[in-house]
Amino acid sequence: MQSRFIRSVRDSAVSIFEGLAVTLSYLFRKPVTLQYPDRIPRPIPDLLPETFRGIIEADTAICTGCLACMKRCPIGVIRIEVERNSETKTGTISRFDVDAGLCMVCGLCTEVCPTGAIRHCTEFEGSTSQLINLVLHYVRPGDKVPVCRLSKDSPPQGLKRNEPYRRARTAWDEPAPVPPDAARGEVRWKRRRNKEAAE
Amino acid sequence: MKTGFDNLAARLANVPWGETLAAALWLLLVAVAVLAFMATFAGVTTWVERRIAGRMMSRIGPNRVGPAGFLQWLADGLKCFLKEDVIPDAADRPLFRMAPYLVFAGCFGAFAALPFGYGLAASGIDAGIFYVSAVTSLVVVGILMAGWSSNNKWSLLGGVRGAAQIISYEIPAGLAALSVVALAGTPNLQGIIQAQGGWPWQWFAFHNPFASIAFFVFLASLLAEGNRTPFDLPEAESELVAGYVTEYSGMRFLFFLFAEWANIWVMAALIVTLFLGGWQVPGAALPDAGTGRTFWILASAAVFFMKTLTFAFLVVWVRWTLPRLRVDQLTDLCWKVFVPAGFVCLIGSSACVLIPGQGAWHAVHRVVQWGLTAAGFGLAAGLLWRARTNIKNLNERIYLKVWT
Amino acid sequence: MIQENTSKTSVDQPAAQASNEDSTLIHMGPQHPSTHGVINLTLTLEGEIIVKADPRVGYLHRGIEKLAEITPYTGFIPFTDRIDYLAAMFCNQGWCMAVERLAGIQVPRRAEYLRVIACELNRLINHLISCGTTAMDLGAFTPFLHAIREREKVNDLMEKICGSRLNYTFMRFGGVCRDFAPGLDRDILDFLDRFEKFLPEFNRLISGNEIFIRRLVNVGVIPAGLAVSHGLGGPNLRASGIDFDLRRNRPYSVYPEFQFRVPTGGSYRGEAGDSFARYRVRIDEMVESARIVRQAVEGLPEGEFLAKVPRNPAPPAGEVYARVESARGELGYYLVSDGSDRAFRLKIRTSSFCAMTVIPVVAPGMMVADLTAFFGSLDVVAPEVDR
Repeated sequence: MQSRFIRSVRDSAVSIFEGLAVTLSYLFRKPVTLQYPDRIPRPIPDLLPETFRGIIEADTAICTGCLACMKRCPIGVIRIEVERNSETKTGTISRFDVDAGLCMVCGLCTEVCPTGAIRHCTEFEGSTSQLINLVLHYVRPGDKVPVCRLSKDSPPQGLKRNEPYRRARTAWDEPAPVPPDAARGEVRWKRRRNKEAAE
Repeated sequence: MKTGFDNLAARLANVPWGETLAAALWLLLVAVAVLAFMATFAGVTTWVERRIAGRMMSRIGPNRVGPAGFLQWLADGLKCFLKEDVIPDAADRPLFRMAPYLVFAGCFGAFAALPFGYGLAASGIDAGIFYVSAVTSLVVVGILMAGWSSNNKWSLLGGVRGAAQIISYEIPAGLAALSVVALAGTPNLQGIIQAQGGWPWQWFAFHNPFASIAFFVFLASLLAEGNRTPFDLPEAESELVAGYVTEYSGMRFLFFLFAEWANIWVMAALIVTLFLGGWQVPGAALPDAGTGRTFWILASAAVFFMKTLTFAFLVVWVRWTLPRLRVDQLTDLCWKVFVPAGFVCLIGSSACVLIPGQGAWHAVHRVVQWGLTAAGFGLAAGLLWRARTNIKNLNERIYLKVWT
Repeated sequence: MIQENTSKTSVDQPAAQASNEDSTLIHMGPQHPSTHGVINLTLTLEGEIIVKADPRVGYLHRGIEKLAEITPYTGFIPFTDRIDYLAAMFCNQGWCMAVERLAGIQVPRRAEYLRVIACELNRLINHLISCGTTAMDLGAFTPFLHAIREREKVNDLMEKICGSRLNYTFMRFGGVCRDFAPGLDRDILDFLDRFEKFLPEFNRLISGNEIFIRRLVNVGVIPAGLAVSHGLGGPNLRASGIDFDLRRNRPYSVYPEFQFRVPTGGSYRGEAGDSFARYRVRIDEMVESARIVRQAVEGLPEGEFLAKVPRNPAPPAGEVYARVESARGELGYYLVSDGSDRAFRLKIRTSSFCAMTVIPVVAPGMMVADLTAFFGSLDVVAPEVDR
């Protein structure tokens, strides 16, 4: 009885000592917090891996209008309207909407696209103040974009599932600066809308 | 403090009711000073606790409001101040309103007897530790009121648990304090400090093994009194949402928290006063009235503050490390372990009063004192060393920037 | 020093009679910090002792099984993630296995290895959350944050593997959706090296803490017979002493090629089937999962990561039951197909739902604080209960 009591006192004391030592040690370690969005070394879309499934974007210049992505989406997020002309074997896309508010970025649509026109980008900050603005129109209302014809020398022949696509820098991006002492400390980096096109 | 009051009384001697007026003004002045200190300490402790808790969890605490987040507590206080006062419809309104003030009064009353330095105490009550013990029991009434009047079963559970816990742990706390009173000869807190010395082996914690055990018993009992983990079942967040303060919001909620954080000071100050030599400066004898007195007041206050803040840090550190005990384990621990240990310590310490001032027994006692001191500081050093090996085990580097 | 719990299970005691004057009815949930989701436990208390515990579920029902009837097979894969979002790889795998069995699709060996790596990493991070939340329910907030920190590292790995941190949608019929990028196996091994050092520190902080052990030992003992009769699985079942693991007893995928132990309760402090045994079984399973991932990464064969499968598989009419050893227990998909490109009926069998049925049997006789510990040790997640 006494030995059990003494053993329990010893166990309590030793385990509490060890626990206190562990938490004390954490006082002297670097915290792992990444202070998004302002105190980060580079903008987050550059820190994300290329496989990241961000917001869906569609490059209508290489879209063949096959509607595979629209049929594949399990929740009907994509709306495409294509008018085909069977004599001239051409078509025009009059509407290419992706409802980013509904999309669950599962990536099923990006896997079936033959040219890789619809793909993920590493963007995820898409919040707007009106829900209707979350519907991304990749064809401006009123425009008609001709469908791309697949041939031997067409641009990106099928997005191989093993090759992640990195989105091209658009005009409103700034080239990400890599400060010389980025490895040593954190640098406040601010995003600004850049009027000139980046590289 | 005597001289200050005498000056004031002398100035008002010609005014009708001069002495009473002087006494009342002095009382008000001291109370406001203590309240200001208590409020500032409570606020700053929340900031310190959140930063320490953050670093212990590998994250940063608040760091946006003010430099290193120092003004966070002001922002939180202002926010609570401006909140809507919500009282549940079926709550018992008078009791609901009164409960925070009782809890606050129980905590604030204890400040009246606490020493802050040589000659710095709001009042030198001769009943010292007994007065503190008695007045902190007032929070029991407040907690029960809060739990009952909220008209919420979870609050009731929390309130009843809290009351049981605080009442139970008064006993071991009192017994451990009595061990020290036996060694010091007086329950007056300033007297207890004067009976110790500045050097660690002259502290009561290292005086004899029974006093060391009483030190741990007292530490644990005060943690339980203050509802701090590992004894924070009355306000267990994961079980009772927020215990007896579930229905409180805004300024009333702030009063409860205010009392809880100010209680940390009371806890730490009592431990330091009773067991760790209080404001005794190592290597300096008590001064006579006259030269060097101001320096002595400042030095003793600095020593006291440093020791108390170390123990406040310990209270915060223990909170973020240990899980909490279940209510029956808590009361079992109190009645089956701490109370018998308290009695044993009391008898043992009283016996140690009989050790003579010289001779063989005295030499043995000195050796025991130095041994206990070495053990105590060895424990602290061992903790630091173990922390260092923990960091090295994960191949990480020691990072000392605390202001990120 | 701290009160030792006596090992009396409420199953052995006669049913407590609730007298109306003394008992209180109290709702734990659906909003409660420790019910791990929206679950309601209606408790009848006498003082602190629970007399009756009545779980009420359905607050998180989203009609996933019904959605399977209107979604094509491939399109349903993202929905399976949401059945148990903390262990989503297993849900993916179960569904893919069901359809593959029905349609007779062979999965290439490299794809199976990739599946195993993903699943065992997912088991590891699921147990991290489970052990962390058990500690958090008992008042220790720091271990939970440490576990989350390690989980974030694996989330980064998952981001590199499949692109998402929570709802993976990694598997397809006949394999996985993408191959590992070069260098990813090095990242996984680096994480495993670090994890091997992290876990002893985590154990020193909380698993060995005497207060923590005394809170969990002999609390909520589920005897072996009760565990089997209520259909428990996974760590809950093994902690009660029953040595049954689907990966070893009903082998599927490439698990027979790996060496791993299956930890069971009974060798830890306290009785077999108590909450501490469940907690320790999960800690030990983390170690075993790390072993399996290391073996899989080091022995990853070359080959295809996806078999040639029609874009919209239409398996022939029939029914199949596919079960996987999920992090929580047995996850089973009972699929009835009528030959079209959608399922005719899908029934998902989750072990959190079965764990909920144990609560009214085991809870009476314990205190409210014990119920929190017991519930946390069962590792119930609301989405799995309600689907």
